[in-house]
Amino acid sequence: MTGVAVQFGLFFRRKLLETLRQPVWIITGLTTPVLYLALFAPLLRSLAGGPAFPPGHVLDVFVPGILVLIAFGAGMGAGWPVIWELDSGVIERLRVTPASRLALLLGTAARDIVMFVVPGMVVIAVGAVFGYHVHWGGLALLFLLLALLTAACSASSSALGLKLRQIGSLAAVVTGAQLPLTLLAGILLPLSLGPAWLRVLGHLNPMYYAVQAARSLAAGSVATGTVGVGFLVTGAVAALAIWWGTRAYQGAMA
Amino acid sequence: MSAPPMPAVQVAGLRKSFRAAGAAIEAVSGIDLTVTAGEIFGLLGPNGAGKTTTLRILTTLLPADAGSAVIAGADVFRAPAQVRRRIGYVGQLGGADKEATGNENLLLAGRLYGLSAVDARRRCAELSAVFDLEGLAARSVRTYSGGQRRRLEVALGIMHRPQVLFLDEPTTGLDPQNRANLWEQLRLLRDDGTTVFLTTHYLDEADQLCDRVAIVDHGRVIALGRPDELKQRYSADTIAVTAEASPAVLDAVARELAGDPAVLSLAVEQGTIRVTATDATRAMAAVFGALSSREVPTRAASLARPSLDDVFLRETGRSLRDAGSRPANADGGVAEVAA
Repeated sequence: MTGVAVQFGLFFRRKLLETLRQPVWIITGLTTPVLYLALFAPLLRSLAGGPAFPPGHVLDVFVPGILVLIAFGAGMGAGWPVIWELDSGVIERLRVTPASRLALLLGTAARDIVMFVVPGMVVIAVGAVFGYHVHWGGLALLFLLLALLTAACSASSSALGLKLRQIGSLAAVVTGAQLPLTLLAGILLPLSLGPAWLRVLGHLNPMYYAVQAARSLAAGSVATGTVGVGFLVTGAVAALAIWWGTRAYQGAMA
Repeated sequence: MSAPPMPAVQVAGLRKSFRAAGAAIEAVSGIDLTVTAGEIFGLLGPNGAGKTTTLRILTTLLPADAGSAVIAGADVFRAPAQVRRRIGYVGQLGGADKEATGNENLLLAGRLYGLSAVDARRRCAELSAVFDLEGLAARSVRTYSGGQRRRLEVALGIMHRPQVLFLDEPTTGLDPQNRANLWEQLRLLRDDGTTVFLTTHYLDEADQLCDRVAIVDHGRVIALGRPDELKQRYSADTIAVTAEASPAVLDAVARELAGDPAVLSLAVEQGTIRVTATDATRAMAAVFGALSSREVPTRAASLARPSLDDVFLRETGRSLRDAGSRPANADGGVAEVAA
């Protein structure tokens, strides 16, 4: 029997080819984050330096937020192809093979991590040109943290696709969750700008801790409690999502 | 005929209910069957008879509520992973990855079953030749015709040389030529020693392709056996011969025929002798013999063989043709072949 690692490689390659066949997605995947930098950052510039806004260059606050957003988007896209594959019988066929369901799930998650890392690096490069201060050690850990977040989102989205089975339902759930999850994580605008109740709600959102840790890492503060909590929460959510997604791929028969 | 030591498929007391709108609907209500290794076995029945549910249970996709199922020596419920290694599956939806090329599909399937990269490539080339896919291998499956895609999907199901190949309604949506082609491929597979287990709602498919058939209705097997044997058990051949002779002469012919052991029943009306017989050829010869010995000229003769539909009709009081009206194929575009 082919090992789980080999199968993971096979599924990763399959998903990567699926993406490479769709150049439109690659182009928008690269242009959207750059557009955020170009169009949204100037708006923030007037806020920076004001009360409740974290100190530092505006891009130092904003770039980690964009990275989280890219990670979230890259992962959350996983569910759509799952539904096409349910409709065309691909998943049913794979379920009759002895293939590892975990490898199947992680192959997609790994592709999604690539879809986060590549545009993420472009954002760092462009951001650096416009005044973002790169801290290399923190940056490596930041990409690791957000790779975990991408995996968590990808596994959840796959699980949702397998459970909901319909594009309309999946779109409703994902877009419905997107606003509270991203807003209450303080991705684009720091939650410190909001009232107390909003900050309390933010603490209930697991993504909040990833964003806080991302800001700390981007600023080069590696050995902080914020970073530790961020890794802990994101890692736990990723583990839970991967368990859920694997169960969903197993279907009725493990 | 001595039974081989291990049947390819052995099913006993299989049951499965679904919950729909608050009520439990029993899709499979106690199915028992044994499939011998190396035969083409068909589950014939109308839509909703429980064929697909049975197949999905046997291919480890669905748990059953009760009963046992052993495939090539592996227990479907206790050792589904072992079963998956021994079977191939071609579902109704097909399951080819449409964006990928035929080769990519085949190689991935082979590797997932544990073939090395080299072996997978060799097997892929071999099956591409057998299924006439060589010119298409590097093209995206999206560009394939319905028949080409079905051939690829069957190839996907046998990349790993399974002991038992399951196919769910394999010829639905295929034109007559592709259908005949697929039948031929399945016969070749059987001749190579693979057991083929398929579902169908086409009478002729069950009759001409399958070595043995289980006719199912409402989740139960209502008849099981070789098609010709089933037809003879449930229904007889009928012949009708119209002759230019007086009623008295025809009555004399009828009295003579009544003594023939092949003749089951006999009626004369308006110059036509109608005979039901266990063996139509023999009865036909007897009728012609009796008529020609009296120098009576024949004007018309017809012979009707029973079909599996007669078996279904006898058991259920319904015709399988009516019970099995099928909605248009989801893929559309391809002519539906009437049973």
